[in-house]
Amino acid sequence: MNSGDLTVLAVVVGVSVVLAVGLRPRGTSTLDFYLAGQRIGILTNACAICGDYFSAASFLGVAAAVYASGLDGVWYATGFAAGFVPVLLFVAAPLRRFGEFSIPDFLGRRLQSEPVRLCAVVVVELVILSYLVPQAVGSGITWQLLVGGGLGGLSPYATGVIVSTAAITAIVALGGMRGTTWTQAVQFLFLLATLLWLTAIALGSGFSYPGAVARLGEEPLRNPVQTDEGWVLRAEPNALHPDEPARFSQPGSRYGRFGQFALVVTLMLGTTGLPHVMNRFFTSPSGRAARMTTVWVLGFAGLFYALAVLLGTAARALIPGAVAGRPWLAAITVDGVLRVPEHALLVLGRLYGGSGGLGVIASGALVAVMSTIAGLLLAAAASWGHDVYERHVNPGATQRQAVLAGRVAVVVAAAASAAMALGLSPETVSSRFPSIVAQMVTWAFALAGSALTPVLLLTVWWRRTTAPAAVAGMVVGAVSSVALLAVGLAGGAQDEVARGLLVTPTLLAAPLGLLTTVVVSRLTAPPTDVDAAWIKLHGTAADRHAERLARLTIRGVAPDAAEVSR
Amino acid sequence: MAGHDYGCAVDANQARRLNADAWPGQPLDEFDTPAEVDAIFRTQRRIAVGYFCVFLVVTLGVPALTLVLDWWSSGRIVGGMSPNFAMAAIGLYVFFLCLAVAAGSLATAVEDRMLGGPVPYREEGPQS
Repeated sequence: MNSGDLTVLAVVVGVSVVLAVGLRPRGTSTLDFYLAGQRIGILTNACAICGDYFSAASFLGVAAAVYASGLDGVWYATGFAAGFVPVLLFVAAPLRRFGEFSIPDFLGRRLQSEPVRLCAVVVVELVILSYLVPQAVGSGITWQLLVGGGLGGLSPYATGVIVSTAAITAIVALGGMRGTTWTQAVQFLFLLATLLWLTAIALGSGFSYPGAVARLGEEPLRNPVQTDEGWVLRAEPNALHPDEPARFSQPGSRYGRFGQFALVVTLMLGTTGLPHVMNRFFTSPSGRAARMTTVWVLGFAGLFYALAVLLGTAARALIPGAVAGRPWLAAITVDGVLRVPEHALLVLGRLYGGSGGLGVIASGALVAVMSTIAGLLLAAAASWGHDVYERHVNPGATQRQAVLAGRVAVVVAAAASAAMALGLSPETVSSRFPSIVAQMVTWAFALAGSALTPVLLLTVWWRRTTAPAAVAGMVVGAVSSVALLAVGLAGGAQDEVARGLLVTPTLLAAPLGLLTTVVVSRLTAPPTDVDAAWIKLHGTAADRHAERLARLTIRGVAPDAAEVSR
Repeated sequence: MAGHDYGCAVDANQARRLNADAWPGQPLDEFDTPAEVDAIFRTQRRIAVGYFCVFLVVTLGVPALTLVLDWWSSGRIVGGMSPNFAMAAIGLYVFFLCLAVAAGSLATAVEDRMLGGPVPYREEGPQS
């Protein structure tokens, strides 16, 4: 790593720290620490949600999945973007209008049940942990390539995991939701600018996107695998037409007739249950603002993922011709194909921008990791600090104690995820999956989509949902998704349909959770006193009240402004 | 608008009580009646489910066409991309955004029409 790379990285991290410290909560209220006072504007929140959501899986993982699997890898991007459509249609506005601190808080208050709240906390923490680990893995991979050396006798991978986790833990513990929001918004804009820059340079240097897709489709798709004799290229089997080789531009390199449906549904339903993303909607000033925020997120997501897919294709097309005369590239490729697909964007950055370009992309990757880790840590803090500590451990806690509990939760969750990431070696597992980072995030989506999404949707849209049913639905959704996934990862199915159902289990586990919630609701006494909750969820009185106050404020300011202008 | 004939003074009082229950300690100068909320809930549910069906058909239709139409994956449009690749890599994102703008605008417009409008009984009912 040269001084240019370090400068880019230092500037990006420095801006994040300054934003977090400068915009940290001034008071010690939990509303300020967890929800930034519920005054985050539409565009700012949309950028912050994107910063939250576009993790290492999106920045490194989508390009890597396209690089390794071609068209079948594109479905990761489609699923990640598609997830916000159900959020817009079913969840964003009602969730904000009900207006609590976290998903467990929402479920607990809506169903007036502490067991529901505690069960949701357990599920939320599981989702957060399974989402945090791949982020830490992504930061280790990035450090490995960018710096290439470790600190204090640690490996480069371990150093990356520890340094990035420690840095973002400090930012979140200091900045709370307000500082984190602005940090995430700026970090997203940096990520988008990075992708736009790389795309502009690639296209400007003569790269033809459609031409590359057509050219790559003419040859069989081959990827490196590690054997006893070392790394070799192996043609990918075609799951759709076994008698033909898999090709980059054709379906079949990864999924047969069923797998991509399971993946898209898993990512689509999972987004609605992601605690760190849903918590951001509570920071909007109104339900209507939350809805419009989601529309902006969909626009940004479409642009971001379209660019990531383009760049994954560009890496596949351009890297083989660039190996000659570049020993650093030869060392990480096998006959022109990258051993670790997550290196695709980083290598493109170095090819087009030299070591400075590598520094920019690597900083982007670390930023993606950091902003997502920030959101996850805040969500962990909200569920432990607000839902467990304030309600069950110390019900008489002062605001200062409650915020301190949130900060402690941030540190504990960060340490746990770093420890788990250190136990993994990405090079040994990447041969099993096209992109280990994207794949691991998919497991978090599966858990969220199976355990939380069905219950969340029913509590918003079905008055008859009861508290015991919500607990049963969450337990069945969580247990079935984890069990199916474990069987799938253990190689429990050879058939393509069965394997798809096991490795991306939402298609099976979510209906199971939904059905359980409906059946148990029917078998238990109907909830009473739902009218007030319904008015809060689906009425707009609070929105109109807030908008009227805002109009009055503007009218009150306007005469003064007119005086000044005269 | 459906539902404007359900109103009476009793309904307005009940609405104020329920709104006070919904936002305890935060007196609002606006309120919604349970009947109004029930009507908007049903309308929004119809809109959401309708748009979701369109979304599901189009999103899952792109990979599904691979299984039934060879041209979808092997045909060439846009300088060498197949229709399948073009839709997965670009077209679906444009579709998501268009659908989001349409659904978001409609949901907001429906709320504006059905809630918070001038309803005579709101003023006639005794203040609680």
